[in-house]
Amino acid sequence: MKSKKKKRQDDFQKVKLKVGKKKPRADNATNTNFRTKGIHLSEQLKRDTSGPTTHRQLSINDLLSQLHHYNANVKHSALMGLRELLSLNPSLLEQHLSRLLSEVAAVFTDKDGNVRVAATRVLRFIAQSVPAERVAPFFPLLSAHLSCAMTHIETGIQEDAMKVLDVLLEHYPALLAGRPAVLLTNFLELISHRQSSGGAKKAQDTKGRSWALSVNLNRAVTSQQWRLSVLLRLGRFLQAVVEERPVEEGDLSAAANGVFGCSGEGRLTPLYLIWEELTYSKVGVKVYEHSGAKPTPRSTFRLRPEVDSGASVSEGLGSAEAIQSFAATLVPLLLEVWVEASTSDSPMNNTEGAHLLSPDAMSVMFQVLSILQLLRKLAPQQEHQDALDAWFRKEYLGDFIQHFMKNFPYGTQDTPKHRKKAELKRNKQTAAIPGLTVEPLALNITLCQVMVSLSQRQGLGRETDGDWLTLLRTFVRDTLSSGVKLSYRHLHMLLGTVWKMVLTQRSKTVTEDLLAAVYVYYKQRNLTLQTRSLLLSFYSKLYQQEQGHTHIARSKVLCRWLASLPVQLSQLGHRNPTLSARLIVSIHAAASRGNKDMLNSLQTNACRLYDQQEGVFALLPAESQQRMVQLLYFLPKMSQSLLASLSCCCTTGRISAGLAASLIRIIHLRSSLSGWSVGSQEAAVQDVDYFSFLFSTLMGFSSYKLASLQEDEDKCALPCSPLSPLSLFPTSVEQFTHHWDVVEEVCHCLETLGSKSQCFDILQNGFSKYVIKLEVFPDSMVAGLLRAVSRLLDPSVVPTEPVVRFLSQCCLSLMALLFTLQQEAPAEANHKREAIWGACVVALSTVPRLLRMVLQMLRVGDLNEEELPQLGQILLMLLQHTPLHSQLLANAALLQEIIQHITRYNRSATREQWLTDLLYCYSLTVAHGSSAHRGNLGLQDMY
Amino acid sequence: MAAPVEVIVTSDSGSQLWNITVFDLHSGSSLLSYRGGNSSTRTLTALRGHFVLSAQLGKNFINVWEIQRKDQLQQKIVCPGVVTCLTSSPDGVFLAAGVAEAVYLWEVSTGKLLSVLSRHYQDVTCLKFTDDSSHFVSGGKDNLALVWSLCSVIQLDSNHAPEPRHVLSRHSLPITDLHCGLMGTQARVATASLDQTVKVWELSSGELLLSILFDVEIMSVTFDPCEYFLFCGGSDGNIFQVSLCSQSLGRDKSFQSDNDGNQVFKGHRNLVTCLSVSMDGTLLVSGSHDETVRLWDIQSKQSIRCLAHKGPVTNAFIMAAPANMFLPDSRPTVPLPRFSRHLHDGDTGQSGDVCVRLAPYTQEEEESYLQKADRLNSLMNAVTDKSIFGDGENTKVRIAELEEEVQTLKKINKDLFDFSSQLLTKPT
Repeated sequence: MKSKKKKRQDDFQKVKLKVGKKKPRADNATNTNFRTKGIHLSEQLKRDTSGPTTHRQLSINDLLSQLHHYNANVKHSALMGLRELLSLNPSLLEQHLSRLLSEVAAVFTDKDGNVRVAATRVLRFIAQSVPAERVAPFFPLLSAHLSCAMTHIETGIQEDAMKVLDVLLEHYPALLAGRPAVLLTNFLELISHRQSSGGAKKAQDTKGRSWALSVNLNRAVTSQQWRLSVLLRLGRFLQAVVEERPVEEGDLSAAANGVFGCSGEGRLTPLYLIWEELTYSKVGVKVYEHSGAKPTPRSTFRLRPEVDSGASVSEGLGSAEAIQSFAATLVPLLLEVWVEASTSDSPMNNTEGAHLLSPDAMSVMFQVLSILQLLRKLAPQQEHQDALDAWFRKEYLGDFIQHFMKNFPYGTQDTPKHRKKAELKRNKQTAAIPGLTVEPLALNITLCQVMVSLSQRQGLGRETDGDWLTLLRTFVRDTLSSGVKLSYRHLHMLLGTVWKMVLTQRSKTVTEDLLAAVYVYYKQRNLTLQTRSLLLSFYSKLYQQEQGHTHIARSKVLCRWLASLPVQLSQLGHRNPTLSARLIVSIHAAASRGNKDMLNSLQTNACRLYDQQEGVFALLPAESQQRMVQLLYFLPKMSQSLLASLSCCCTTGRISAGLAASLIRIIHLRSSLSGWSVGSQEAAVQDVDYFSFLFSTLMGFSSYKLASLQEDEDKCALPCSPLSPLSLFPTSVEQFTHHWDVVEEVCHCLETLGSKSQCFDILQNGFSKYVIKLEVFPDSMVAGLLRAVSRLLDPSVVPTEPVVRFLSQCCLSLMALLFTLQQEAPAEANHKREAIWGACVVALSTVPRLLRMVLQMLRVGDLNEEELPQLGQILLMLLQHTPLHSQLLANAALLQEIIQHITRYNRSATREQWLTDLLYCYSLTVAHGSSAHRGNLGLQDMY
Repeated sequence: MAAPVEVIVTSDSGSQLWNITVFDLHSGSSLLSYRGGNSSTRTLTALRGHFVLSAQLGKNFINVWEIQRKDQLQQKIVCPGVVTCLTSSPDGVFLAAGVAEAVYLWEVSTGKLLSVLSRHYQDVTCLKFTDDSSHFVSGGKDNLALVWSLCSVIQLDSNHAPEPRHVLSRHSLPITDLHCGLMGTQARVATASLDQTVKVWELSSGELLLSILFDVEIMSVTFDPCEYFLFCGGSDGNIFQVSLCSQSLGRDKSFQSDNDGNQVFKGHRNLVTCLSVSMDGTLLVSGSHDETVRLWDIQSKQSIRCLAHKGPVTNAFIMAAPANMFLPDSRPTVPLPRFSRHLHDGDTGQSGDVCVRLAPYTQEEEESYLQKADRLNSLMNAVTDKSIFGDGENTKVRIAELEEEVQTLKKINKDLFDFSSQLLTKPT
């Protein structure tokens, strides 16, 4: 007990503290004599090995989750981090695209401006690297967020939404254009507000319109600038819609690439085959689908207008009605914008200054007009477009004339100096919105185009369109003829206006007036190729429209233009083949229509165009050459000089052999001897000229060239020898082949003339007049002549003595040439050798007395050592050629004599191989012949 | 009725004695010849099987013969100019002629000039109707071929000139010949041109299907009836055969390079101006400026027969011989009226009259295809029914008859038995 008490007292022992004594340290006291230092961990120590990170070691998951943070700075830095991460690791983009897009799009509507800007940047980055088809599945989400931002109550967000829209328009126009309905309403809401139906009085004022322009005073920019930026986007958006519309029936494409651009090829790709390839069956022909039994889907036969497939583009702008209702909302707003812009700009509104506009107002107006233009183009089909035009005309023509045309040719306001400061400030503001500087010219031209589309075809019983068209016409004329350099786009639009005016107004004076202005522009020097060809195609398209438009057909300017084409072609030379090709196409079109002025001009210029030296024909590429050959067909008369230069073109290898052949055939067709003529077309070529053309082409060398060949004898011509009585000039293989092909064609033409004997007479005369007196002969010419003689020879005609003598000389020289060729180039000259040999053999077998003459000419005694084996070879070849046997046998006596001479004169000790072969062949031939000798007795008289 | 006899009809520009000659397709013997003048190219046509028409060479009139009277002209149709081409629609209702740049269209039953189409810029070279007479195609020296819808052309709407349905404008030199395939509006049209190409178009859409570039100018073109082959007559006298549906069997190709149907008929020595294929697609007739008409076997590409003429051949084609051709006593069912030279004016007093056209072969109401099919069906069924089941009523009577006969026979047999047994068992 006692001890118990004591213990309890111990537990609560009282510590007595005394003064002066130090207090004992408690057992649980904290030792506080340490010092602290802060450690700042800028980066995480933990390394996330699962994926790449930013320099702050934040992975993409971290960054995306940070986007939900309440703090704007965190969000901003997360967005910056995302951009860094993605640019370093593009592969992440593919893996996390879905999350990325949804998270980034969610911050479009963030309250903080910096975050929105950063989000736009990230979006731009993503858009740059991801193609449209991969974004397509996420696009509904994106556009939902975009709509959200556009319709946001905060003006800042609305403004930034425009930037997002810019990015999307730039990279995914097709995707945006696919869902126009919501976006279009959003656009309207950005600049206007829907009026409550309660305001009955107001509604009456505005013709029942339910939308009115809104003004928001809270915006950082003036309402005009705001509208401008919205309209700019709307314009771009509509442009995207127009461009992405599926092209149907080809109407729209024609409208898009210009009324006078070359109309596209058919909807069907035709097969283009070449006969030579067909014969070697390199290509399979498969013309008909489903073996041709079913009608093709491209047929233009329609039982009833096709029912719209509808569903595909039902929302938005698929049908004409939808466009019309949208336009009905938009156009009044646009008009209001226009009016405000024009009035706010010139507050004094005095009459003389009304047409001067400040740059701001001008760009607003420009946007208004271009949107109007795009609205027209939205119509899905041509007939819809016409309906839409008519509707526009009915509803708004009065308004348009009142507002647009009042001060029509607009100009820029000269800004007075003292307002420079304000101007600078304004410039700063406008610089934020890109593409805002609009020249007055562009504005005026666009206005022209919009207004002209409203003009109506002037026919019987319709009211005329009044002064405003005159105003437009004056402007167009002045602009074109003032000599101002226009950009391609402007010129294109202006020409479109001219086109429309000419076609709708159908008046001769108007047409003449406008076309003359275009012609003034056309005649300017140093236009670019693009511009020049645009003008060319404008004219040629217009020319092709002339059927049914007498005012176009009778236009003097057009005639003058056509007549000037050949001159232009010859002046252009070979400097610009593409432009030349265009010119030739236009000339061809006019020629095929038999345009008198053009043909006369072509005829006068023909000699210069087809000159063999510096004519366009000789210098242009092959396709144009072919066109020009075809042009020859349409020439009403071909003069001698023209034929001479054409002949030179054929022979000198300026054009390919095939083209030369078709040239010869075309001249043949245009001569009176061809026999193919339908109707009353006079022959373009005199018979005499035609013959001289054929003969000089057959010769292959001009007289000048031949003369020069005679003079420099020291050059490459082979000298005369007993074995080769003519001095031959060896031509290159290409030249020979070319000439050979040409000769075949000429021979064919001569053969089809009808009377072969008369042809041969003419040829013979030509020989004795021009050829025989020469001394040096090109081998191609000699071979060609032999070929022609053997092809044209008629059994009833006996050639004269000198001609046969000349031919025999030719034959012998050519056969001698064969051996020199054999030594030189065995491979490539093969064709040439075959041709020469063929020509010789055929001539020997067809021309009477020729073989005998050749054999008589072989004087073995005059030959030297080297030539003897050659002679032997020649004889051997002749003996081995079976078709010649009968003729050889007819001259057996001569042959025997020669063989005897050869064996006698062959002084070499041993019998050489060639001699053995020769003797063997000879014995064979004679032995074979003696059996059949009796039958061939009659031949001896002939040969 | 005998099988249709096909004949070759030719004409040349040099013959003094006769104008048109008719040959038998298979024997090559000359059957008939029509006298008077010479025909110019692509102007010979047979109208409704009762008349033969052809334009006089170099003159401005058209000679008309009744098909059975070969010695005498029925009339001369005087035209405003030299006729460059002439054709009649297959149903014989319309006659079309090319005179300089214009196409003249007459109605045969009245002789009225319905329309003058001057849409070509230069001379018209050839005219062809489709086989259902709904369209025609004209080709000209202005490189264009125009497809006209007949009904749009003959509409009496004076406000605007008729427009062609299609303008085929891909040739670059004058068109020399064209051929219109079968199948009415679904036909294919082949055009040949001096630009050395032959082009095949689709009539219904006006699209180019095929273009073949040759080495020479092509002066004539035709299809065979199945459109397996395209035949093109060249200016050098060769006829090129293009297979339009070659099966690309890759393996065999390399071995038989030239067996693909793209081959050449060689024999003529000058422009081949006319081509025509027989109804069964086995024979080809070609006329040339070398004054011969040749008959070819298409399968073997050999010239079977060569018919010499006195001048360049202007027309040569194969047609089914009309029934009247060889009956000298026959008469045309409908006489040919005088053809008018001037465009029928709406203002004159005749404007009130209405022309009723009776198509030549539909005199009475024809039964429809459905009725025909029904009739055929019942006919066929009748045969089978009869053979298998026989006729209901008759069988019963017949059975009764037969049964009766059996009864009689049985009775006779019994009588015979009774009689003989009686005889045998009779006690003697």
